[in-house]
Amino acid sequence: MTYIIQTHQLTKRFAADLVIDHVTMKIKEGEIYGFLGPNGAGKTTIMKMLLNLVKPSSGDIFIQGNPVNLMSYHYLQDIGSLIEYPIFYEDLTAYENLQIHCTYVGQQDDSHIVSVLDTVGLRNIDRKKVKEFSLGMRQRLAIARAIVTKPKILILDEPINGLDPIGIKEVRELLVLLKRQYGMTILISSHIISEIESIADTIGVIDDGKLIEEISMSALRKRNQPTIKMVVSNVQEAKRLLEGFDHTQAKIIDEKTVHVTKTRETTAVLTKRLIFQGVDVEEVVTFHETLEEYFVNRINGGKEHVAIT
Amino acid sequence: MWQLLKLEWRKHRMARYFLSFFSCIVGIYGFVIFAALSSKNDIDSVIPSYNDFLTLVTLLTNITFIILGGVILSRVIISEFRTKTINVLFTYPIRRKTLMLAKLLLVFSLTAAGLFLGTWIMQGLTYFLQPSLGLFEGTFTMREMLDTFPKTFTNAIMMGAIALIPLYFGMRKKSTSATITSAVLIGFLINSTVSNGGSSFSLSDVIIIPLIFSLLGAGIAYLSIRNIDRKDVV
Repeated sequence: MTYIIQTHQLTKRFAADLVIDHVTMKIKEGEIYGFLGPNGAGKTTIMKMLLNLVKPSSGDIFIQGNPVNLMSYHYLQDIGSLIEYPIFYEDLTAYENLQIHCTYVGQQDDSHIVSVLDTVGLRNIDRKKVKEFSLGMRQRLAIARAIVTKPKILILDEPINGLDPIGIKEVRELLVLLKRQYGMTILISSHIISEIESIADTIGVIDDGKLIEEISMSALRKRNQPTIKMVVSNVQEAKRLLEGFDHTQAKIIDEKTVHVTKTRETTAVLTKRLIFQGVDVEEVVTFHETLEEYFVNRINGGKEHVAIT
Repeated sequence: MWQLLKLEWRKHRMARYFLSFFSCIVGIYGFVIFAALSSKNDIDSVIPSYNDFLTLVTLLTNITFIILGGVILSRVIISEFRTKTINVLFTYPIRRKTLMLAKLLLVFSLTAAGLFLGTWIMQGLTYFLQPSLGLFEGTFTMREMLDTFPKTFTNAIMMGAIALIPLYFGMRKKSTSATITSAVLIGFLINSTVSNGGSSFSLSDVIIIPLIFSLLGAGIAYLSIRNIDRKDVV
């Protein structure tokens, strides 16, 4: 397996604060890696460490197989990035900003700037200085800057912040296009799961500086077995009866609801046993845990009522 | 490096600097001519001789261009840290030290070149205007004027380095106003003159003082880039 980005036991301390705690992550070439976690979990810090803006306290980073050390900078040629708030030279136009970016990266050919601006939906802005742009326009321009040199790796920190629903859809489609057409590897962070769910190949879940899960979407879908919600007259008795089946787990949700997972029986068999044993069944619904629920469960680790912002 | 200097020039629209440069020259020269002409027939004329003229011009250009250097410094370096465009700059495949060196070089060369050229433009103007206006007693020759070259050159180099001192104050809180304020204070301190009737004394007359300050400026510039490759940009 070719990993284009790898970290090994990556750790960062700011004074006494342990911000990133021994993170080992692996990103395959050509995939979209969704980096999920609540605000302040450490997503931006890890991305900054990949770009060598923030230096690790310990641990290793490998980009395209080469170790990144304190003084590394050549590898940045192959990375397009958008970190935190989209920042530009305010007195210049979008075109001038991209032109300067291309020159810094070492690409003298800036003939495709107009088409890239068009791709991200920035049109008729020829004379407009960036200081006159709205947040959504800045975000689009930041994405344009990240992709204009067609880098092998894209590191995008919350790229859909400030975009309207149409803009979000367009950016999602653009990222999939970049992956398919140019084989770009895309690391994209978000705290809104639904934004990533439909396009990611792999997700990494980070909380409190720790990578608590790294899983491919296909494995996640396989693992994500259905949950059967049963509304019954006696939850304690229902739990006992249902757990009588092999592998079946029943969790009491409230005084009338039980969630059944991992069962190999059909809902008809489960329902029949309850009714025959004198437990009334008012409702039976089968559903799959959404990625959002999965994410919340993984992060909270059972700590309920903790809001994901 | 040339390419980096050109990029800095474009990014910060440094062409605007030409306008500031010419405004400063017009302002300084206008003031000197006014002072010379208004006290021309007085017993204690402000500018009795060519040397006094040169001293006054150097003094005013030194102060002005140290302040202007502070303005350029705040635009090219401090504002990049304040607005965080430096975060973008440091993601380019160029060594941070080289990027910073280009910025420092731009500030230094614009200040020193501005000061040097400014002094010479004013000397040149005086060379042509003196016969008709009689700004001060006597005349001065082209030879006398050219003899001041080493002095104006070393002065420009030293002041260019001194103009980097505000970097220390500006970078502490990434403040453009602290940069410019410290530039004003340094400009006036170094060129402050104590006058006692016929004799006057300026700190910049004692060569060792501007020399120490210029070494300080160069030292601050060096320290600002020495560890830049190892620092976190947060």
